[in-house]
Amino acid sequence: MVKLRAKCLLLGDAAVGKSSLSHIFYNDGSLFQKNYSLTTGVELVMKCINIPETNDSVELYILDTAGKETLAEGCEKMWGEPSLLCLVFDLTSEQSFANCTCWMERVQAHCKGLRVPGVLVGNKSDLSARREVQASVAEEWAQSKGLEYHETSAKEMVNCDAPLLSLAQSFYSLYQEQREIMQNLGPG
Amino acid sequence: MIDSSGAHVVLASSSDENHPPENITDGNNKTFWMSTGMFPQEFIIRFPETTNISTVTMDSYNIKHLKIERNTSPNAANFEPVTQEEIEQTEGHLQLNSISLKGCRATHLRFIVTEGYDHFVSVHRISVKT
Ligand SMILES: Nc1nc2c(ncn2[C@@H]2O[C@H](COP(=O)(O)OP(=O)(O)O)[C@@H](O)[C@H]2O)c(=O)[nH]1
Ligand SMILES: [Mg+2]
Repeated sequence: MVKLRAKCLLLGDAAVGKSSLSHIFYNDGSLFQKNYSLTTGVELVMKCINIPETNDSVELYILDTAGKETLAEGCEKMWGEPSLLCLVFDLTSEQSFANCTCWMERVQAHCKGLRVPGVLVGNKSDLSARREVQASVAEEWAQSKGLEYHETSAKEMVNCDAPLLSLAQSFYSLYQEQREIMQNLGPG
Repeated sequence: MIDSSGAHVVLASSSDENHPPENITDGNNKTFWMSTGMFPQEFIIRFPETTNISTVTMDSYNIKHLKIERNTSPNAANFEPVTQEEIEQTEGHLQLNSISLKGCRATHLRFIVTEGYDHFVSVHRISVKT
């Protein structure tokens, strides 16, 4: 049994639904802690994800960055070295999808050569009549960046656990891979 | 004299049941302690008595930046810095480090890994030359 720990950045434009999503993680009745710092504009939610068919789990420390541009500089200092990325856009806003490219560039500077698995989340899937971003387009962009694509509705609580499970599983795979290497190291 | 007998780990910031911190001081570099994600990571080694340490030898993997602190207290508290090291990346074999502590006196040594080449680091063996 092992419990891994990962720092997960929740990124994306203002009003795409980041806080709504993190509040669902917070409200679903499992063990968590919550913390909000007004000075930094960063909210921390802890969520423990069990890896299916094992006794192992991953504790995700999810940092919800305030989308307001004025606070963004301060937030970047809090990013540190992330373990995982959750990039969110609004399916009814083409602009929020286009801006994902900038978010990726900004965060890459913090990854310092580490492989940081991530997901792309198209939120507000309940507003299907107002959809501006097609799943196939988002899917293709996600693939080109090595991200897994998910669509959610924080409002109707549809599919909200899928991105987290996918992130936890990616981190668990990295752990297994490194452990395998460590077990077979030469003497140097 | 090279000695890891009697020294043992009294605290580690993370632990994997299959790769516990005891593996650091068991004298065997096939067994290891593995971190479980995020930095910094740390562990504290206690010596049976206050000891003058000339060199620390550490076999590790994926460690990029390491700080060492010491105290001469019976408790694992009130540490002061001794040295820090930038460690080179290796692939497929252990990082073999020999770190001079210049005869400093210590009852506890605290090892803080502030950066890694991967999300996970391992320490396979630590011994000290007195
Ligand atoms: N219809 C709909 N509205 C949503 C959804 N998620 C969030 N919202 C609304 O979008 C607005 C912004 O959400 P918020 O979580 O504060 O966005 P943030 O700035 O990214 O944290 C709020 O009015 C939410 O109620 C969703 O899935 N569907
Ligand atoms: Mg918000």
